[in-house]
Amino acid sequence: MSGCEGPQSVFRTGGSDAAQLEHLFLVMLAGAVVLWLGINGLFYYASRVSARPVSRARVEALILGGGVGLPVVVLTALLVYGLSIMPDQRAPGDGLRLRVTGEQFWWRVEYWPEGAEAPVVSANEVRLPVGRRTEIELAATDVIHSFWLPALGGKTDLIPGRVNRMSLEPTEVGTWRGQCAEFCGLSHALMAFQAITLEEAEFGAWLAREAQGLAPEARTAEGYAIFTAQGCGGCHALRGTEARGTVGPDLTHVGGRATLAAGILPMTADALTDWIRDPAAFKPGVEMPGYDHMDPDELATLALWLEGLR
Amino acid sequence: MTARRHSAGGEQEFAEERASLVRITFGPLIWAMHFLLSYAGAAVFCAKFPHASEHLDLLVWGIGLATLVALAGIAWQGQRSFHQWRKGNEDSLIEEDADGSSEDRHQFLGHAALLLAVISAVGVIYTALPAFLTATCR
Amino acid sequence: MTVADPERLGRPIPAAADRFAAPAPSGPFPPTPEMLAEPVPPDLAAAQEDRLRKAWKAPSGWRYWSAVNNSEVGVWYTLTCLAFMLGAGVLALLMRVQLAVPENGFLSADRYNQFFTMHGSAMMFLFAVPMFEAVSILLLPALLGARDLPFPRLSAFGYWCFLIGGVFVLGSVFFDAAPNSGWFMYPPVSLQQEGVGPDIWLLGLSFIEVASIAAAVELIVGTLKCRPPGMRVNLMPLYAWYVMVVGGMILFAFPPLIAGDFLYELQSGFDWPFFDPERGGDPLLWQHLFWIFGHPEVYIIFLPSIALTAMIVPTFARRPIVGYSWIVLSAVGTGFLSFGLWVHHMFTTGLPALSLGFFSAASEAVVIPTGVQLFAFVATLLAGRARMGLPMLWIAGALAIFTAGGLTGVMVAIAPFDWQAHDTYFVVAHLHYTLFGGFVFPVIAGAVYFYPVVTGRMLSERLGRWAFWLIFAGFNIAFLPMHLTGLIGMPRRVFTYPAEMGWGGLNMVSTLASFVIAAGFAVLVWDLLRAAWVGPRTSRNPWNAGTLEFVPDPDENWGTRSIPYVHTRYPAWEQEAFVERVDSGRFYLPDAPEGLRETLVTSVIDARPLQVLRVPGPSWITHVAALFTAGAFILPVYHLYWAAGVSSALAILTVCVWLYLSARSHPEAETKDAGLGLRLPLYVSGPSSVGWWAMWITMLGDATAFASLVFGVFFYWTARPDFPPEGAAMASGTLAVAALVALALSWALTLTARVVNARGRPWTATLCLAVAPLLAVAGGAALLGSVWLPDLDPTSHVYPAILWAIVIWTLVHVGGGIIMQLFCLVGLLAGDFTPRHDAPLWNITLFWHFLALTVLVTVAVVAGLPRLL
Repeated sequence: MSGCEGPQSVFRTGGSDAAQLEHLFLVMLAGAVVLWLGINGLFYYASRVSARPVSRARVEALILGGGVGLPVVVLTALLVYGLSIMPDQRAPGDGLRLRVTGEQFWWRVEYWPEGAEAPVVSANEVRLPVGRRTEIELAATDVIHSFWLPALGGKTDLIPGRVNRMSLEPTEVGTWRGQCAEFCGLSHALMAFQAITLEEAEFGAWLAREAQGLAPEARTAEGYAIFTAQGCGGCHALRGTEARGTVGPDLTHVGGRATLAAGILPMTADALTDWIRDPAAFKPGVEMPGYDHMDPDELATLALWLEGLR
Repeated sequence: MTARRHSAGGEQEFAEERASLVRITFGPLIWAMHFLLSYAGAAVFCAKFPHASEHLDLLVWGIGLATLVALAGIAWQGQRSFHQWRKGNEDSLIEEDADGSSEDRHQFLGHAALLLAVISAVGVIYTALPAFLTATCR
Repeated sequence: MTVADPERLGRPIPAAADRFAAPAPSGPFPPTPEMLAEPVPPDLAAAQEDRLRKAWKAPSGWRYWSAVNNSEVGVWYTLTCLAFMLGAGVLALLMRVQLAVPENGFLSADRYNQFFTMHGSAMMFLFAVPMFEAVSILLLPALLGARDLPFPRLSAFGYWCFLIGGVFVLGSVFFDAAPNSGWFMYPPVSLQQEGVGPDIWLLGLSFIEVASIAAAVELIVGTLKCRPPGMRVNLMPLYAWYVMVVGGMILFAFPPLIAGDFLYELQSGFDWPFFDPERGGDPLLWQHLFWIFGHPEVYIIFLPSIALTAMIVPTFARRPIVGYSWIVLSAVGTGFLSFGLWVHHMFTTGLPALSLGFFSAASEAVVIPTGVQLFAFVATLLAGRARMGLPMLWIAGALAIFTAGGLTGVMVAIAPFDWQAHDTYFVVAHLHYTLFGGFVFPVIAGAVYFYPVVTGRMLSERLGRWAFWLIFAGFNIAFLPMHLTGLIGMPRRVFTYPAEMGWGGLNMVSTLASFVIAAGFAVLVWDLLRAAWVGPRTSRNPWNAGTLEFVPDPDENWGTRSIPYVHTRYPAWEQEAFVERVDSGRFYLPDAPEGLRETLVTSVIDARPLQVLRVPGPSWITHVAALFTAGAFILPVYHLYWAAGVSSALAILTVCVWLYLSARSHPEAETKDAGLGLRLPLYVSGPSSVGWWAMWITMLGDATAFASLVFGVFFYWTARPDFPPEGAAMASGTLAVAALVALALSWALTLTARVVNARGRPWTATLCLAVAPLLAVAGGAALLGSVWLPDLDPTSHVYPAILWAIVIWTLVHVGGGIIMQLFCLVGLLAGDFTPRHDAPLWNITLFWHFLALTVLVTVAVVAGLPRLL
């Protein structure tokens, strides 16, 4: 299935839910091909080949058997199979809880380890431990979005005023891509995210690092001064500093993410520079204003500094 | 022009019968009521009943009971239609060319009602399946 | 044998009233073979033809556009749908160009979003549903051996509304002002759009929906009441069964969307928070209402194609359909089951798995009737001596495509698989497979098949084959790969995608093939237009079909030459000398001695002749009414509320004048010779009349819309813990009960007016109808006061908002009821409505029955329910 192996393909499975659904699909596909050939072959025979009128008893058997019997048997079997896997797909999580909030056009991600009182906040990237079933709460602030990570499982909508739940159980270590699947406005096409699945121990170590505030050496760098002077903290948070904005993504460890601007740009200083100068050029309808009035050197310094926040 | 096998009184006996056109919808209507009850029942139960998840068996048995009642209703309607259709038409499952008599129309409506009862019964059983296979409010 | 049973519903009319009742039909029925065998003298036949031709002559010159006859309106309607389809198709091509390569800059995000919104909206609302109605308006009278539909002016009015509304909605694309949130307009994202886009969608399409419902009413009444004598329900052409089922579905499916539009307009225009969770609303209510409409809509589109197939297959199998009652069962069964599927469009909205399971189950169950229909067609071909022909080629293509779409439909109906496939190109492929296979191909087959009925000419076989293979190959090459594009991750409604996703190659293939489809359509349309002038003339029944639609002469405007007595399913095959007898005027209504347009009304089940119905001829009042109605819907888009109000008032006035003029014109005689010795009444009222049936059917749809609003209340109650919010103000119970009493009295007086008038006391009736509107005004005021005085602020929370919405809905209906009472009051005072001519009184009483029920439910929900919850 080499043609099916895109970064967002349902056939490149890395979790038990997606594997179950892939199996379901392949079973249905095989059945569908057989049925399609059967029905169309029969029609071809009836309209082109069959020369003499067929007896009445045969015709009755055809309507009863083909029109009623066959569908009832096939559909009952399929329904029993399909319905019985739903409880597995919706099984409760076993510890860690994520809360993903959809915003136009990015993802706010909070990690709630069992018993935690405050979340570890991140954005546009989800990391999950392999071998555990992680519950994901889904919410939205502005419009309806849909959280879809095909490699691990099906999608669920994020709806303002509601909290939906899904759960995923990765079985393989890897990096996967997900995307918003419900039309959410001008830049719906540009609202993606990365998912990284890690061994449990590695995940624990990463989460502990992620939970820390801004590194002390980063606070003394020139980039921090520029960040503060430009008022970036009004919208973005750097935990452990005065920057406590919550309108945009938390930037405490922004350089540690694989992508920028919800999966549409690589996390490089150049991309950061271009993005900060004119976000709307990359993402129509984005809320962040452009900073094309900034001194180019300052902008480059700021970008380089942000890229270093890991 | 008139009936092959019909008595002269047939025209009077089966005159108009507007009710039997309505009667062919009974089977599907029972399906619709059962479907609506199951769906609304599950929605209200999961949303409004405290500790719904622990008492799901209540809901499952409720839907099971409703299914039995619905199937009984459809069976009753089905056998009535069966008799309406089968009177004087024992040879075929697929009714053939109509002859234009009112008795023929009478049997046709019986046949249609019977077939609709069968499909409604399948629909009701299908509707009951999730209660037993997917009994979760999650 | 004589015709008994004048088809009264309910109790027989008291003896005292009999002297004002319509005379019963008299004379022999059914006609004997001897009567039918008697020849018509040729000179008499020629004189009859002259008179008929004169009565049914289409107006000429610029007056041509005042025509109302189904053969003109049907053609305009069909061509208009075709034009809208081509427009929406061009949008699709432009979108395909944008998607051909990754990160393309051909269209901006906003432009692309407008295009996919309009492509979907236009294909659904301006092509698929109206095309069914257009084809049915064109063909149904011919299929039923009728001269016209019962309300030709209503068809014309519906057409002009559709044309204005369609041009308005589709035209918005040219002004960069089109809606841009997808054809299902999910709030809140759709509420964010600034400008007129969302209002164009809401009001423009509501307008068209109203026209659709009007057409559905007409088609249902036409099928129930305008069949040829003797055509019992089990003899109807299968197309007529589908018209009845689909008409019924439109009646129950469109109103929830109209209710949704009503709530949406209150939210977007007046900030009532129906979909705003901050104030207790919920965006999911829109999705429920939209899809309660939207899924039956899929079958509203699909069933007519099956109906066309059911007409074509027997002709090419050269034998009657096998399993007639099985197909009827499938049509009716699908009609019902299709209302239990709507949540399968909402499988990913996080509803409990159990709830999803019910809809998965129903979605699979609906496959069974579809399977029965397909196998009945195959069985017919097997049992007959099948031959091929251009229409059958299109049917074969339809089957190949539709079965693929149906099978992927079975897949996405399984909820867990849909969690992967939903909102991806897999679904885009699936829905286009069902719509091309289940609509486009069969409609083209129907166009090829019925072309001679309309034009008397044949389409080109060679061009037809070219068109078929271009569209068939292009379609499969374009859409088959999309299944895979979706499964390897491409969501729908994205204007661009990054190169590294690996979707580029497949998209390029789809784009190239989409132009092949377009080339096929170009060939097809060219042939359709060309052949109308230069196509070879054909014999009247070129395919040798057995049904009635091929009997009329396409060169004559009168429809059928005489209305036949039908006692078989395929009269042209099975009845002796059938076509000659129709042609020579041997059957009913062979003449138009008064120079008026007439058709027969028959009973619902057994099609016994009941009445000779005079149908109206050309008119401009329909255009005036359509223009003012358009103003009422379109002016609010630009916030010209006063102008819209004036326009509505003028629309109502025009319609009243239109109806009054037709209600006061009484036939010159009580009965008339309908041919073959049968004398039928010319004027009937109440359940015998087509107007009463139209009112009854319309009110079913109206009640469905109201029920959808009440569903909203229960939805908020289950979905929201804060409904009703703690300590919220309540509607005034006293005033609500006062409203109920006053309106109930008004209803009772309306009913009394009808009854006493029928007993020969028109002055008592006049008195009743003078008092009834006053009571209705008082009742309406009390109802308004019950929510106004307690200061329920509809912008504060969804709870007062939904109560207000229900009250407004009911008040609008009370207003309608008052106008109707005054309408009849004027008629009685002017002496135009009499104990004998009392049809309007029957019809408004029926409206008031429904209104009384609406008021009762309104009072219970607004004043009673919150006190219980």
